[in-house]
Amino acid sequence: MEINETQKIREKIICLEKVSYNYQNDISALSEISLEIVKGERFAIIGANGTGKTTLLQIMNGLIFPSKGRVFFKGSEISKETLKDKGFLSFFRAKVGYVFQDSDVQLFCPTVLDELLYGPLQLEIGEAEALDRAFEVMEMLKIEPLKSRPTYMLSGGEKKKVAIGSILTINPEVLLLDEPTNGLDPKTQCSLVELMLALNEAGKTLVIATHDLSLVDELQATTAILSEDHQIERVGSAMNVLGDQDLLLRVNLIHEHIHRHGDVTHRHLHSHYLFHRHERE
Amino acid sequence: MEDLIPSFLLKQDSPDSFQLKGKRVRTPFLEKGMEHLGEIVKIAYAQWNAASKEGVFQKIDARIKLLFLLFFMTIISLKKDIESEIWIGLLVLLLMALSRLNLLHLYKRILLFGMVFGFLVALPSALNLFKEGEILLPFLSFSRSYQLWIYSLPETVGVTREGVYGLGMITLRVVNSLSLTFLLLYTTPFPEIIRALKLLRVPDTFLMVITLSYQYLFLFSKTVEEMHLAKRSRLLKEPKSKEARMWLAGRMAFLFRKTRLRADEVFRAMVSRGFSDTIKVYQVKTLQPHDWIAGFSFLCIGSLLLWK
Repeated sequence: MEINETQKIREKIICLEKVSYNYQNDISALSEISLEIVKGERFAIIGANGTGKTTLLQIMNGLIFPSKGRVFFKGSEISKETLKDKGFLSFFRAKVGYVFQDSDVQLFCPTVLDELLYGPLQLEIGEAEALDRAFEVMEMLKIEPLKSRPTYMLSGGEKKKVAIGSILTINPEVLLLDEPTNGLDPKTQCSLVELMLALNEAGKTLVIATHDLSLVDELQATTAILSEDHQIERVGSAMNVLGDQDLLLRVNLIHEHIHRHGDVTHRHLHSHYLFHRHERE
Repeated sequence: MEDLIPSFLLKQDSPDSFQLKGKRVRTPFLEKGMEHLGEIVKIAYAQWNAASKEGVFQKIDARIKLLFLLFFMTIISLKKDIESEIWIGLLVLLLMALSRLNLLHLYKRILLFGMVFGFLVALPSALNLFKEGEILLPFLSFSRSYQLWIYSLPETVGVTREGVYGLGMITLRVVNSLSLTFLLLYTTPFPEIIRALKLLRVPDTFLMVITLSYQYLFLFSKTVEEMHLAKRSRLLKEPKSKEARMWLAGRMAFLFRKTRLRADEVFRAMVSRGFSDTIKVYQVKTLQPHDWIAGFSFLCIGSLLLWK
């Protein structure tokens, strides 16, 4: 369904206006980024390593603040100043959840159950309801048997599930996911994609930072591609962005690859996804 | 999967608008401390940036700079008059200016550390409780003096001339030692310092420990910064000091565990790459005429200060 321009403006949920960010006041991480994310959208930020994907997500979550430019959530500016107001802080943090790339840094409660209860209890939801939420999420993620386990005794995939669960129990409207499939086995990756699609179906806005092109394809997300100059190279549909070989080559997301089949050596474009096709195919 | 989505996730239970409460969120002291730990990378970057500038001290060989540091540190400890300490302080200031360092930024830190580790630590010695002297500023008077075991409480307690002089000396010694160290660190890249230490025959084990600790500092700082951001992203209300302390204690245990695992991994990686307990240096530069001139000048100035 085509969304007309008026509707899009009304439903804008996250908006970035010419955002730049420098590390150590010197090294550029983002340059003049302008983006609009619409409510209920699946939005992917893709780019090679070091292009600023994580920085961009952290700016959207009000964890770091732009050196230049402005960020808005539902029309309210996210800044150091606005997040100092108790009312806005609670509102914003309850609405936007962030799943870190490294689950280890995110999990800090003694057990898995404590981890899932942390958010709801902070929201001052009653204990019974908080417990209900935690158990429902555990059931959905199939991590109920782990409920009494300390988080450091979990595998990588289990930690990722707990990290996602700990955000879901807050019931945020927007989920920011940093490299969600990184380090997960194919089966866990698959169930994670299903979960993301189901959450989006349930009305959640998903914003994903990744360099996994197959994930973008599976989610069919609106895609913003970051260049190595830390600028937005293009924003478009997954099909539009992933179908443009020249663009993906330019931003170093695919490369020319040489390999052997028996005695035959040949070369082709390689992305570990779309273009791993041989000419005769 | 869709069938399993909990019902609470299908409805939006938090309000769609907010009210500015006007009440400000205060950041507990511990949280601020965590933020500052993350700035280690920033400091290292500033050092690296300053060390790559085209300044006088940057051009001198690291071996000469290290010997200069050791020689002048010795002079600072041997001299017993404030005048010499002031001259040394001015010399370092001049060298910093010639090396195009940010004097304001550096001296803010030097004076802060100098105040804490020099002035405040030695402050009680300005009183006549430890050493008798000519009282300049009396504080307390008693009808008579008291003797408590090995301690004595004089009839009049106050700041003495000798105490003030000693306090000034200690503070200046700390400030000068810090300035010299900062001058070296901000004009010499870290690998150059290690290479110079190796050439000056410092044991390899010691250098290994310094190098690995320095590298780990960045990993540690990055992990702490990420943990802090992760906590902040899940913080829905003002953090309480008690909660911050509990969180910090848990995270310290986590870091300890992670550090031990990391140390094992690093050691295995070193072994797999053929680690032996010797550090190999390559492309050793010979000292250039300007290095010899600088070294000779420092030797002359230092000797002059010692002789005076």
